[in-house]
Amino acid sequence: MIGAGIKRGTAELAVLSILEDGPLHGYEMARRIEEQTKGALRFTLAALYPMLYRMEQRGWIRGAWETSSSGRRRRCYRLTPAGKKKLSPLRKEWAELFGALRRLTKVSHA
Amino acid sequence: MRDWRKFVQVQLAGLPLSPGTKADVVDELAGHLEEVYEGHRRQGMTEELAAQRAMKQVTDWNALQRHIRNAKEREELMQNRVRQLWFPGLLTLTLSMGLLPMLVKLGLEPRIVSWSGPDTILFYVPWLLTLPLFGALGAYISLRAGGSARAILFSGLFPMLSLAACFFVILPLSIVLDRSIAFHLTLAGFLGLLLSWVVAPGAALLIGALPIEILHTRKMHSQRVAGA
Repeated sequence: MIGAGIKRGTAELAVLSILEDGPLHGYEMARRIEEQTKGALRFTLAALYPMLYRMEQRGWIRGAWETSSSGRRRRCYRLTPAGKKKLSPLRKEWAELFGALRRLTKVSHA
Repeated sequence: MRDWRKFVQVQLAGLPLSPGTKADVVDELAGHLEEVYEGHRRQGMTEELAAQRAMKQVTDWNALQRHIRNAKEREELMQNRVRQLWFPGLLTLTLSMGLLPMLVKLGLEPRIVSWSGPDTILFYVPWLLTLPLFGALGAYISLRAGGSARAILFSGLFPMLSLAACFFVILPLSIVLDRSIAFHLTLAGFLGLLLSWVVAPGAALLIGALPIEILHTRKMHSQRVAGA
């Protein structure tokens, strides 16, 4: 069954997936998502941060201030065990959605 | 070079979060805008164009403010509850209840106010005399953490509330488990226990906590008057 919050789920899936490779700060997260999806997924600041704060509050990710070698202070987010656990059902939900869309497309073209 | 921090600070001036959390949000968003701006500059855009592009990251600052508040509010609420309520309350309880056996060990015996067989009422007077201090301590810690009038009183009275909870849970449970307690317990005895373990400690704690709560209420009132 595909959940009602699928739209928000896609954005959350993108963030959780990108953080699976290692901790990142917000800007770098948005940049990598855009790069890896060849521009299909773009996160503006306005879309990204409320979502990050929500996910942090749910305990899926954890942010901590870090200072880079250039002296710039950034808040880096990393995946928590709860976040890792959340990834698998989200991926399943997405696979279901794609499966459903594929079936629908075939019917439409028939 | 633009001051992105100042820019974000102005845009999020109405964000109703604690100063620390708000400063963190401002720093984080300003850092993001700065990196967007620098990214555009590296691509060869003019300062003006790069800044305009960076600012396009947010089209409605009021909506963003609302979304951040919604996302952060519950977290803040939990943190505030711990700082303003549970920490001062539990500290007051631990200190006040920890002192009682120490005083008894030091030989400070309870004062027997009424004696008529099983209905004796014991008042641990030295302990009761220290309770206003603990009530004030709990209330003060809550006040310093930004607690509301209710949180301040709750923190100061926390030992009494815990004793009352024990009283109304443990006593009925003991009666259910051991019928002989019910047989021996009279109404006068019950009221005596209530008086010595709930009412008297509660009053003593209130003596300490109430002035701090009044102080807080007056301060809030004068601030409201000044702001009006």
